[in-house]
Order: sequence, then structure tokens, then C-alpha cells
Amino acid sequence: MLQVLANGLALAAAYALVALGFVLVANAANAVNFAQGDLVMAGGFVAVALSRLWPVPGIVLLPAVLAVMAVLGLALSAIAYFPLRGRPATAIFVSTIAVGLMLENGANAIFGAEPQAGPPLLPGAAIALGPVSLSRQSIAVIVTAAVLILALEFLFARLRFGWRLRATAQDREMAASIGIDVTWMIAFSFALGAALGGAAGLLLANSFFVTPTDGINYMLKAYIAVVIGGWGSIRGAVAGALLIALFEVVYPSLPLLVPALPVSWLFTETTATIILYGVVLAVLLLRPRGLFGEAVLRRA
Amino acid sequence: MRIDPSRGLRAPLAVAAIGLALWPSVFSSAYDLRLFTLAGVYVLLVLGYQFIFGHVGALSLTQGAFFGLGAYASAILAVRGGWSFSETFVLSIAIAVALAALIAIPVLGLESHYFALATLGIAQVLLLVCREWAPLTGGVNGISGVPGIVLFGRAVPGGSPSLILVWSLVVIGAAVAWRIQRGLYGLAFHVVRSAPAAAGTIGLDSGRMRLAAFLLSAAYAGAAGALFVRVNGIVSPDVLEFPVMVTCLAMTVIGGATRVAGAFAGAFLLVYLPEWFRPLDKYYLIAYGAGLLVMIVAAPDGLLGAAARLRQRLMPETDVAPEPERLPRPEVPVTAPLIFRDVVKSFGGVKALQGVSFEVRRGEIVGLIGPNGSGKTTLINIATGLETCDGGAVLYGNQVLTGRAPFAIARLGIARTFQNICLAGELSALDNVAVARSLDPGVDIETARAQAMHLLETLGAANFAMSQVRALPHGVQRRIELARALAVQPQFVLLDEPAAGLSEREQADLAGQIKTLRTRGLAVLLIEHNMPFLAGLADRLICLHEGRVIGQGSPDEVRRNPRVIAAYLGEPPRVPA
Repeated sequence: MLQVLANGLALAAAYALVALGFVLVANAANAVNFAQGDLVMAGGFVAVALSRLWPVPGIVLLPAVLAVMAVLGLALSAIAYFPLRGRPATAIFVSTIAVGLMLENGANAIFGAEPQAGPPLLPGAAIALGPVSLSRQSIAVIVTAAVLILALEFLFARLRFGWRLRATAQDREMAASIGIDVTWMIAFSFALGAALGGAAGLLLANSFFVTPTDGINYMLKAYIAVVIGGWGSIRGAVAGALLIALFEVVYPSLPLLVPALPVSWLFTETTATIILYGVVLAVLLLRPRGLFGEAVLRRA
Repeated sequence: MRIDPSRGLRAPLAVAAIGLALWPSVFSSAYDLRLFTLAGVYVLLVLGYQFIFGHVGALSLTQGAFFGLGAYASAILAVRGGWSFSETFVLSIAIAVALAALIAIPVLGLESHYFALATLGIAQVLLLVCREWAPLTGGVNGISGVPGIVLFGRAVPGGSPSLILVWSLVVIGAAVAWRIQRGLYGLAFHVVRSAPAAAGTIGLDSGRMRLAAFLLSAAYAGAAGALFVRVNGIVSPDVLEFPVMVTCLAMTVIGGATRVAGAFAGAFLLVYLPEWFRPLDKYYLIAYGAGLLVMIVAAPDGLLGAAARLRQRLMPETDVAPEPERLPRPEVPVTAPLIFRDVVKSFGGVKALQGVSFEVRRGEIVGLIGPNGSGKTTLINIATGLETCDGGAVLYGNQVLTGRAPFAIARLGIARTFQNICLAGELSALDNVAVARSLDPGVDIETARAQAMHLLETLGAANFAMSQVRALPHGVQRRIELARALAVQPQFVLLDEPAAGLSEREQADLAGQIKTLRTRGLAVLLIEHNMPFLAGLADRLICLHEGRVIGQGSPDEVRRNPRVIAAYLGEPPRVPA
């Protein structure tokens, strides 16, 4: 039970990073970055490549992955967002889908289609905790993600630079009029979004492997987390990620936890995913502003 | 801008069509013929996708799912039920349309970013179901051994015969799409896409148009799927995977999202490029992503759009404006007044309107004045259905307008203009006005344009009729908006700051035109700040302040009203004794 919970939390922590990256860009640029899932995949492969060059624990590679991915995020904004400013929202959807396609096929050309395992965050085996043993990886993932999320919280709450980012997200014109360089803020949001996605890629690559076609799945999870949590809300995105990851991990193991339930197709990962989509559609229909309300109100 | 962008391309298009027709006779190996047939299947898929993505402008990500569903439906019925081609073909279309109708209820009204997610989610569910429900769908292996096409009891062999059959259906599909997209309906889609707020106010039911486009896109995808599986003989969950959707999207963007010929260009390029660049192997797919990116950045209207623009630049042609034609006299003019009764509206904690009541009668010009934020535009938005009120009602005679959709209110004969001009920028001035004639069932596009020309002429904007609206000066755009409102043949015209940004001469012209409307028996309610303009024009003024009527009467009365003066200038300073 505890192990299931730890796995769920580890997945949630990684999803939360993906969703945060997604929502940062959505707020600052008012655009949906469809390549976010592929950035997660790219982060996973960056970690795989780095660990081949330099076989150290994943936690040591984290800063390098963050840096490489931030550069990738800047490149993404330069080729797929800034040339399309002022165009209909669908244009940026399509351009980021195109970048995602390039990332996916690039990874496929370099690493091949087979799943690859990323480096574990820490060396060593499971931690014994009384009668149960928890995998060291799960705990390390949770802690790393929590540190990153808290660092982000600190950036937004305490640092002047974070205030500028927030001001840009709330009202670009107003931010520009008080002397904030909005273009640079948006570019930085892309960099930050990609870095967070890439970090999630590193965290996930060990237990879940990384495959070039993973992007779409992570993209959808981030998207769903953000919809459930309320479009534009940073804490909502984390809460949404927590909800969906726990559901994904706990739901298929329900028959193990509750012996009265039959083991059947009703309790598979696929069914869990289908239920998840059903819930999202219901949320969109009944509470189009998310369970906790939208953070950024659009102007009429 | 040209009215008919395909006209300058007719010769090259004809050459392309002939080339297309001759292609299979040159490249006639079995493999070539199959590839050519598949290209036809993709043309159908893309033609359908153009309705929802191109014309409505909504990023639907279920087109691939409709395609896969059509393929699976045909495969299951043919292999397990022994159904014939014509039966499965019809049923594949029907089932795709049925799914579209079902999901349209929750998703079609969603904003763009939610719509894309919802449609993608549905596509993923369908993919998962197909993978898991092995007894029906064959699981990950799919279904093989789907018999080829049998028509009128005779098998249509692969190669040329089935190519001809598929391409005949493509030609029919293209002709139907072309018929739907040209004419007033095609113009109406432009307005729904690029000036959505205005669509309702000229009587267009944008919800119904979105639905129609979505169902059409599903129908084309279902047909394409049915053909695909008959040509291939096998179907697997691959057809429901995201790459199929992305391919369809890329074909549409690269060819041109709103042009029938664009569907051919896009489908062909993306079917044949991997063949031509076979040596590049895996790197081709990266280049394909890059190509999609370059197109969306550099040529948002696709290859065909770029070709049309290039041709226009090399050989500029200006279209000849149509001969103006008077609009038919409307039937029995209605004499009912427009009544605002205790209208209440708040936005969050802000009370925008706190019980506003007044009437506008026929043959009357009423000016609505008041400081910024006093609720004037909100009042007009409520009267035209763009916003709902929290209390009270707006009536037209004894018909309650509140609660009706904007298009329904427009159809009763209430038209408006916008403070922030709301025109379809890519259309010509003439077409922006002509599209508002589509309510009249007897009017075709030529008549509508001739009548639009008449309206532009009476408003002194005839010289700009053939220009793209985006490029026109502000004052002209205001006149085009007024012409569009008049094209609805309204009884009431609600004008939101029509004189803003006009020169004095333009203002005088406008005042004259508004007076003409009064002589014709129309009623005009106009929001204005410009008192000299109103003084010579309005029969009555109504002054709003903080959501209440604080004065009404003749312009002179209202101008002397101390409460009105106070509202505009603030409280008079107290003079020490």
C-alpha cells in the first residue's frame, strides 16, 4: 500500500513539473505549447545521453539537463512562438505540434525507437521502512520535484524577477507599460517551461523508460492537470497533477487493496485512462473553468 | 483583394488537374497505382478537415479518429458481417457523423484550447478502446483480410479500376465541398471565424454553422476511412494514432486550409515526398516537421494561398465592382417600439446597470450619452443578445428579446455596429456587406454583392468596395459596418459611437445618412460623446450615469440638466460666500 502511494506520488511529482511548465507558458505567452510532452521526452533522452558520457547518478546530471532544456525552450520560442505573435491561437498550436514532431523524429533518428532507461537519481537499492520497503528512486523523485516546485514558488513569491514574470502573465500590456521587457519574459517562460519538462523527463526516465513517442501521453496529462486545476493556476496545476497521478496508480490496484473487488478489465490502466478522459470532458462541460476556477481571467 | 482568389489560378489549376489525370497512365506499376489511390483517400480526409479547421478555424483533433472509426466500422462489418462495399461505405459515414453529433454537444462550444484538448481526449479514448476490445477489433493486430471493393455484384480489382472508383468519389467530394464553400455560405464562414462577435448580429447562427462543419468533416473522414480499409485490406490501431491526425493537419496547413485545390496539393505532397526522399529515411520525418513549421510561419494560407498572392503581385488584377442594385422593400414595416424595462446587470461586484427603462419608437433618433463606464455599450449588448441581463427585460413590441440568441434578435430586424470595429479583415468591403444579405432566402451571391454595392454607394464608400477591409482607414471601416447593419434590412439600428474618429466632414455625411434612415421609418439608437454631432441629429437624448437614467428629453433640455452637467463635469465647486 505504502509502495503504491509512493509510486503514485513520484508520478504525481513528475506530472506536476510537466504541468507547471505547460501553465507557465500558457500564462506568459497566452499560447498552448503542444510540444511540452515532447520536451519531457527530450529531457529523458538528454539524461540518457549524458549518463552514457558520464555515468553518474541522475541527481548530478539534473543541472545539466535543466540547462540544455532551457536552451531548447528558448529555441522553441524563437522558431515557433515569436514569428507567430498576433496570429490566431491555432497557428501556435500547429507550430508547436510541428516542433514536437521534429523532437520526436529527431530522438528516433538518434536513439532509435526502443525504450531506453535513464540513470537512477541515487545509487543503491530500496529503503527498508519497518516491514515495507520503499524504492529509493520514488522517494528521490518526490524530493527532487518538491525542491524544484518550492524553488519556483520562491522565485515567484520573493524575487523581483519572478514578480516581473507574474506581471507579464497577468497583463502583457500593463507589464510592458511599466517597463517590463515582455518579450524577454515570455522567452524566459519558455525556457523555464522546457527546463521543468526536461527535469520531469529525467525523473521519469529510470522507472518508466523513455521512448520517442512518449510525448503525446505526457502532453495530455499536463493538459488534463491544467484543465482540472483551472487554466492558468500554478497551484491548480500541481493539485491537478497530484489528482490524476494518484488516480492512475491507485485505480488499477484497487482489486489488490480492496479484496471484494474482482480483478477484471474494469480495473486496468487503460480503463483508468478512459475514466480520466471521461472526467475531463465532464469537467469541461460542467465546470469549464476547472475545479478550482481559472486564475487568469480573459478580457472581454 | 480579389473576390475570387482561385480565378488567377485557373490556368495553372487546369494544368495540375490534367497532370493529375495523366499521372496513373505514366506511373502504372501496382505500387504506383496503390499510392495514387491512397493519395485520393487523403484528399477526401483533408477536404473534410478543411470545414472545421479551415472554415470554422477550430483545431479539431478528432479528424484522425473519425477516419479510423470509419475504417474499423467497414472492416468489422465486412469481415465479421459480410456486408457489401456500398453498405459499409454508407455505414462508415453514418457512424462517424453519429459520433461527431454525440461529442458536439459537450465540446463544440468550448474555447479553442479546451476544444483541442477535448477532441484529442476523445481520439485517445477511441484508440484505447480499439486496442483493448480485442474480440471486436482484433486488438493490437487489428483486422486483416478485408475484401476489396465489390460494386453491383462485381468485384472491382485493385490497380486502375479501384483507383478510378476512389478518384470518382474524390471528384464528387471536391465538387460538393466547392459548392458549399463558394457563395454566401462560404463568406459566412469567414465572418464566423474572423469576426465571431459580428456573426450573430447579422443573423448568422454560428453554433449551427460550426455543427454543420463538424458533421461534414466527420462525414468526409468516415468515407475516407471506408475507402482506406478496402484499398489496404487491413486495419490496425495505427490508423487511430496521433501521427495520422498530424499528417492530416500538415496536409491541410501545407496545401491551404480553405481551398479545395489546397487539399489536393497537401495530400499529394505528403504522400509522395517520403517516396521521393526515401534515401533520407528517418531524417525525412524531421524535415517534414520543419516543413510544417515553415509553412505555418511563412505561408499561413498554404501553398495555394501563397501562389495566389504571388500571382496577384506579379500580375495585379483588380476586380470590377458589380453594378449596384436596390434592395427589395421590406414587407410590412413593423411599428412596435423597442422597450428597455428595468434592465439590471452586474459584472462581479460592479453594478453596470441598475434598472434602466426607456423606449425607442419608430422614426426616432435617440442619443444615448453618459460618461465612460456608465453602461451604454452594455445596454446595447443586452439588446442584441451578446450579453444577458440579471433583471428586467428588453422587449420589441410585445416580444421579449432577452434570452434570445444574437442571430434570432438580428432576424427580428435589430442591427448594430460596434465601438471596436468588428469586420472580417481578410474579406473585401463588398463581401463584408454582402454576407449580411444571406438571411434573405432568395438572394444568391451575385445579387447580394450587387445590393451590397448599392448600400456602399449610398454611404459613400463605393470606391473602397473591392479593397480588403484590413487595409482601409478607420472612417471607411465605420461606414462599412453601417452598410452591413443596413444590409440586414433592420427596423432598428443601434450604433455604438459611430462618429468616433471621423473628420468633421465625415461626421456631417454620417448625420445626413442617419437622418435618411429616420425618413425611411427606421429607429436609430446611438451612443455618442460628441454633443455638437448629436445636437443637430437626435430627437431625444438619454443620459446614463452609473447605470441609471439621470436625464432625458430634447438635446437642449438634457444639456441644461444640472444632474447631467454634474455627471460629466463632477460637482460644481462650492464658491465661498
